[in-house]
Amino acid sequence: MSNRARIRVGAVSLMVLLLGAGLAGAGAGDAEGRPARVVSMNLCADELLLRLADREQIAAVSYLARDPRGSNVAEQAEGLPRTRGLSEEVIALKPDLIIAGAFTTRATVALLKRIGFPPLEIGVPADFDGMRGQIRMVAAALGHPERGEAMIAELDARLAEAMQWAGTPRLRALVMRPNAFTVAPGSLGDAVLTAAGLINVAAEIGQDRTGQVSLEAAALADVDLVILDEGARGAPSLADALLRHPVLAELRRQGRTVSVPNRLWTCPGPQVAEVVTRLVAAARARTSLR
Amino acid sequence: MKALLPRASASARSRLAGAGLIVIAAALVAALVLASVAIGYAAFDVPSAMADLLAGRTTLPALVLWELRIPRALLGALVGFSLGLTGAVLQGYLRNPLADPGILGISSAAALGAVMVFYGGLAGSLSLALPLGGIAGAALAALGINLLAARGTGTLGLILAGVGLSSLAGALTALALNLAPNSYAALEIVFWLMGSLADRSMDHVWLCLPLMGLGWILMLSTARALDALALGEDTAASLGFDLVSVRLRIVTGAALAVGSGVAVSGAVGFVGLVVPHLVRPLVGSRPGASLWPSGLLGAALVLGADIAIRLLPSRPELKLGVITALVGAPFLIGLLFRRQGRT
Amino acid sequence: MRLVAEAVGVRIGRTVILGNVSLDLGPGAFVGLVGPNGAGKTTLLRILAGLLPATTGRLTVDGRAMASVRRDERARRLAALFQGAGVGWPMRVSEIVALGRLPHRRAFAALGDADRAAIARAMRLADVAHLADRAEPTLSSGERMRVLLARALAVEAEILLADEPITALDPAHQLDAMTLLRAISRRGIGVVAVLHDLTLAARFCDRIIVMEDGRLVADDRPDAALTDGLLASAFGVAAHRGTAFDGTRYILPWERSGPGTKEMG
Repeated sequence: MSNRARIRVGAVSLMVLLLGAGLAGAGAGDAEGRPARVVSMNLCADELLLRLADREQIAAVSYLARDPRGSNVAEQAEGLPRTRGLSEEVIALKPDLIIAGAFTTRATVALLKRIGFPPLEIGVPADFDGMRGQIRMVAAALGHPERGEAMIAELDARLAEAMQWAGTPRLRALVMRPNAFTVAPGSLGDAVLTAAGLINVAAEIGQDRTGQVSLEAAALADVDLVILDEGARGAPSLADALLRHPVLAELRRQGRTVSVPNRLWTCPGPQVAEVVTRLVAAARARTSLR
Repeated sequence: MKALLPRASASARSRLAGAGLIVIAAALVAALVLASVAIGYAAFDVPSAMADLLAGRTTLPALVLWELRIPRALLGALVGFSLGLTGAVLQGYLRNPLADPGILGISSAAALGAVMVFYGGLAGSLSLALPLGGIAGAALAALGINLLAARGTGTLGLILAGVGLSSLAGALTALALNLAPNSYAALEIVFWLMGSLADRSMDHVWLCLPLMGLGWILMLSTARALDALALGEDTAASLGFDLVSVRLRIVTGAALAVGSGVAVSGAVGFVGLVVPHLVRPLVGSRPGASLWPSGLLGAALVLGADIAIRLLPSRPELKLGVITALVGAPFLIGLLFRRQGRT
Repeated sequence: MRLVAEAVGVRIGRTVILGNVSLDLGPGAFVGLVGPNGAGKTTLLRILAGLLPATTGRLTVDGRAMASVRRDERARRLAALFQGAGVGWPMRVSEIVALGRLPHRRAFAALGDADRAAIARAMRLADVAHLADRAEPTLSSGERMRVLLARALAVEAEILLADEPITALDPAHQLDAMTLLRAISRRGIGVVAVLHDLTLAARFCDRIIVMEDGRLVADDRPDAALTDGLLASAFGVAAHRGTAFDGTRYILPWERSGPGTKEMG
């Protein structure tokens, strides 16, 4: 599915779902019509829910929310019930609003739709506007539209702050995520690179349809900045082992790598501006080095 | 004397053919290693990178050559030689034309051993732990197969036991990866069960080469015992072979070669099954004669498969085991049918 | 070479497989090892071949304990022919016979001239020279037996131990094989063969060793060993004795001896 088609489908399902959510909320919500038992089913939904809702509104978050390596809201998630996204867990919580990812826990989502609990599905935004729209949508569904606007304002302020330093000449950058995934053109990550004044080399070296690049192609593409997540080393994996490959070590020695935690730009939120800030700083350091 | 001459020349002829085949196969492996170094994903001036490398200039192309292209080609040859040789040795020793480290479950047990060591964090503190884990897994499987064979389990019985062991080791590998604390681990199961040579480095070559080499020496040393074993254990023992030592060398050698290979490249199936059958029409059925040619042809097969993977348009690249299974699985079915036709 | 067993026995746990067997084997004789099923003939043969250690008693080669004889020396001096396992791969006949030279070859050395000569002699003796380039699966059982015998002969050992060499053969090939084994013994090689056919054993062997329940119950010239009493007690048969047209005496197991075993009616 193309991104545009994806967005269109997302928008249609959104309208349907808002109706559904409204109906559900009408019965069970508080005096102001806000949902009172919200369950979120993927990490990005968790982050928006924890930041935009009152704590009393939250019935459960996903099990990923408390993992400090992946989640930006691990502390806030402390003490809340968690689910693994199974239908029975979710139904047992008697939710009046379910927020699910458009590409995760599909079986559960399909079942919930069939039995009359249609979830609010959030897709993967393709740019900053998509991100703003998603924040607005979730904030509205939670009955706190003003908090959504505040979050967007914070994001925009931090973005503007970071982007004023975004420089010329535009450096060539390539993102290498675990298992050699990269940031494909036309994605939020690509938009972040552009905002930081960088050229996404992934567009040139023909990354495949799942967005993977080989280490060899990355090394030979004359990249100024290879963007990796070298943060707190987790439990061993081949993905982490690749970060110690001698070719990457040489790129690192030459000052061509910058570490950005993946969790900062996995999900919509003001922390995405932080990525732009770090990339701009790295690009400036690299330019002065050259 | 008249009767003697043609016989002598016939045996000399077959020996010459064997030596000739080894030379040709070695040349083929050398050519495929060069091709594997030359073929890759990025446009790349190999001669100038080689010049940089030889002059000691650590340019990025030199580094890509030394730490990506060359290890990938070498590992293909090493892993392929190990699998082909182990297949030929196991088939000869078990007098079983269906024997193969993959089919008998030795490869998947090695993958399980390596996975437990790697994701348990042992390999981080001691890199040698990774091949040792693979070797331990392979050794347990090889010992189990040996015990079954010693109890008189037949050709198909052993293969069924191997299928069972493979499934069990595969399931335990999946379990270990799902329980691993790293969220990427579950995605990495395909590497361990199907094998790949992508993004390996020279470190991997150094890690497995000595252990593999030792395994090869142990297995190659059994060539004459394997010939004698064609006539059964009693006859082999009467010809002066210490069968306990032979068994020990084969189990240890197979475990070292397959275990250390799987630890750096995952489990690549069917090479050990197919290659000895391709070799036998050329060198004859004497088990000892098929060892070197099987190793070399195994190396050629894995190198060829790995080159094909990079030439095919499929991205992300296919796992090695996909190609070898596409060749090997129909071959196995064919062998089974032929057996059925005979008995 | 003298192969001497003194009170040799094998036990597994408390079960006595073989008890107190004493015998003396030397060059130039054709010895038949006979006895009913389960009497321990093959066990004794494997002990004599040095493949199975005796748990009691003493086995010596020219006065030295078998256990102290190096494996390769034993393999050169004592050849053994076991057919039960068959041939595992479709090897060529010349390759199979050449296996008999393995005890004589140094590591990594190819077949030498002496090896090739020995192979040729063995093949000529067993009359398989014309089969040299045939693959094993294309042979008849008689041809296969002669090829495996040629393999054992290629060792050029001083004693040849053969386990049931004629069991699978038709009458004509049985006669050929017994003639061949006797001819080999006449060349100075000690031949010991496990046999089931008492008629052929009595006719061709120089000496018969009779086993019963893991014990040696007779060891003598055929007519002295295979008495009516022994045939009845060890084998449970009564034999017809006669003289063939060429004047040779023969025995023929004719009917079961003892009560309740005769044919009804």
